[in-house]
Amino acid sequence: MTENQTILKANDLSKRYEDGVLALDHINLNVRAGEVYCLLGANGAGKTTTINLFLGFIPPTTGTCLINGIDINKDPLEAKKYVAFVSENVMLYGNFTARQNLDFFAKLGGKPSLGRDDYYKVMRRVSLQEKAFEQRVKTFSKGMRQKLGISIAVIKNAPAILLDEPTSGLDPKAAEEFQEILSELKKEGKAILMSTHDIFRAKEIGDRIGIMKEGRLVMERTREDLRTEDLVKIYIDYMKSEPMTV
Amino acid sequence: MLKTIIRKELLENILSYRFPLFFLITAVLILTSLYVRNADYNKQVRDYSEQVRLANDELASSRMSDLFMGRIKLRGFLPPAPLSVLATGFESSLPSYHDFDAEGPKPGASAGGEESILSVFGKLDFLFIIQMVVSLIVLLFASDMIAGEKEMGTLRAILANSAPRHSVLIGKLTGGFLTVWIPFLVVFLLGLIVLGLMSFPIGGADHPARLAGVFLATTVFLLVYYAVGLMISASSSRSRTSLVAILLVWIVFQVVIPRLGDMLAAVIHPARTETVVSMQKSLAVKTIDREKAIALGSKYVELFGPITDTSAPPEPEDKKKIYEAFQSEWDNRASEQKASQLREIDDSYRREKDPQRRLATALSLLSPGAAYSRLVTDLCGSGEIDRADYYQSVQDYQRTLDAALYQYVKKRTMIYPGGRSGSSSSITKMVDLKTLPAFKVKTSRLEEVLAGNWGSLISLAFWLVAPFAVAYVRFLKYDVR
Repeated sequence: MTENQTILKANDLSKRYEDGVLALDHINLNVRAGEVYCLLGANGAGKTTTINLFLGFIPPTTGTCLINGIDINKDPLEAKKYVAFVSENVMLYGNFTARQNLDFFAKLGGKPSLGRDDYYKVMRRVSLQEKAFEQRVKTFSKGMRQKLGISIAVIKNAPAILLDEPTSGLDPKAAEEFQEILSELKKEGKAILMSTHDIFRAKEIGDRIGIMKEGRLVMERTREDLRTEDLVKIYIDYMKSEPMTV
Repeated sequence: MLKTIIRKELLENILSYRFPLFFLITAVLILTSLYVRNADYNKQVRDYSEQVRLANDELASSRMSDLFMGRIKLRGFLPPAPLSVLATGFESSLPSYHDFDAEGPKPGASAGGEESILSVFGKLDFLFIIQMVVSLIVLLFASDMIAGEKEMGTLRAILANSAPRHSVLIGKLTGGFLTVWIPFLVVFLLGLIVLGLMSFPIGGADHPARLAGVFLATTVFLLVYYAVGLMISASSSRSRTSLVAILLVWIVFQVVIPRLGDMLAAVIHPARTETVVSMQKSLAVKTIDREKAIALGSKYVELFGPITDTSAPPEPEDKKKIYEAFQSEWDNRASEQKASQLREIDDSYRREKDPQRRLATALSLLSPGAAYSRLVTDLCGSGEIDRADYYQSVQDYQRTLDAALYQYVKKRTMIYPGGRSGSSSSITKMVDLKTLPAFKVKTSRLEEVLAGNWGSLISLAFWLVAPFAVAYVRFLKYDVR
């Protein structure tokens, strides 16, 4: 995989639900290897729908989602091999220990031969306390669950990572740690698409930032652009204005 | 992938509080019931042996004429079915013996007649425990299998990977079912060990094959309920909704359909009760006997003159022969009339009862619980097939006795004009008590059980395949968001 290679690509992506609601309106975006793309927007703007479409959870009304060049709707099982997913409320089995959760999702992610040491190594990498490795997850704080969630994404070693509001509800220290992990993954060449409400975190970590409104991608800025522009002001202006597609 | 999902399901269930609780409840209930029912069976065997011995002693101390004249009766007892320790079935409601004489078999009291008021709750046997306890727990296990994962969001996490949905569903069904099946297997084997230690004839006759049949039928039955639970869980977005739906389905399958089926069949196809039929038969026989007695009495007076208070008239030889010919003619006529009328009553009863039975059976097959009950009670020798065999054995024995014994008894009653009556009896041939045939109850063969239960097997197969198919379709179309 080379830098600048597009890993995640949405072409003319639209989603209209059966009740007629247009959740996504002709979105085009791509995320390259070693890049973090942050999607900002209010609730209902279409951020999570975009991620759901990339995961093949729902079929698009128009357009395609490509992961590593594979259309998720044409070959979902193959496409999902190249993507890892971390959601806002990391979904884990409460009665399992951290290692057991990691073991299950690693096997599910196509890593059947990993052992206890591999799991410990990954959990150390995401700064999960050692004593938590063999603890039942139902006793975990949100920050610990988030770290375990990211370790599941790390162990899959997929070229693309989808994050759905991963820092929501995290305390500042945990959010900072999370950001550090993302930076490392970015350095490893992962293409990261993150939906978030956290403008400051997006500015810190995002190589590119897109603002979504009413299902449209209304603005896109690079890190370079934001050296001279105020993201908060741009965001608030766009939230007040009528949506216009980028 | 499938192995990973199965392993996860097993581990998740084993780590939950439900697993040890299920294991404990199943083990305690099944092992206790087998112990108690086996003790009860041993008592029944002792009672049966004692009753047979006493009846034989009574016969041995009697004269053949007592038997011929009906002063003592031949009594045939129903031996307890060994495998009824697993399923009581009809055993406690069947007459525990029949008395036989020239007039036909008469049922004795049922074993249930000696039980306390608590017997209305039914026996806590293996069948009851599986039907009413284990099936419910299995459904509860299945209730959050999919709905629970939807709620927790773990299903999103699973499906975000390259896990084919059909593998996820089959893996969840297999892993989840193994969680309840393995404890059941262990408890079943422990139960057999307990029975073996209590000298139960596990290896007797075709018991191993029947026990294997019960085990297989129970496995399929539990799998049916797991598939039903899976279907409901796959169709619900919340585990609480799934739980309520599951409880409703369980009530309909286990309580409403089996009980309503019989009642509906009786309403749609009403039939006389067996007691009414028995009384009608008795009345028909008495009416014919009375006609015969009047005819004989009138003929007697016609030939020999009126009967006085003190003595019968002299019987000249020539008239005696005429009278004997008349008697024989009436014997034959009455015998034919009885046979014809009894057959007619039986036929009309069968015509009423058959549609009712067929409808009740068909309605009961709507419930996997009822289908399973039929199959297991038949496998345990306490079901419909053995009940029919018991009554058939009674009829066969009566016919055997008629041919071997009662045809040599000529018992006649005469009613003279004016209403006075008298009777005469004669024995045309003495029969040795030792040569009398013994009462044997025919027991069903395994092939008969299977042949007689194709409906139950189809019902179970349907309830296994249909819910899984629905669950499959629902899960494939499930919106993961």
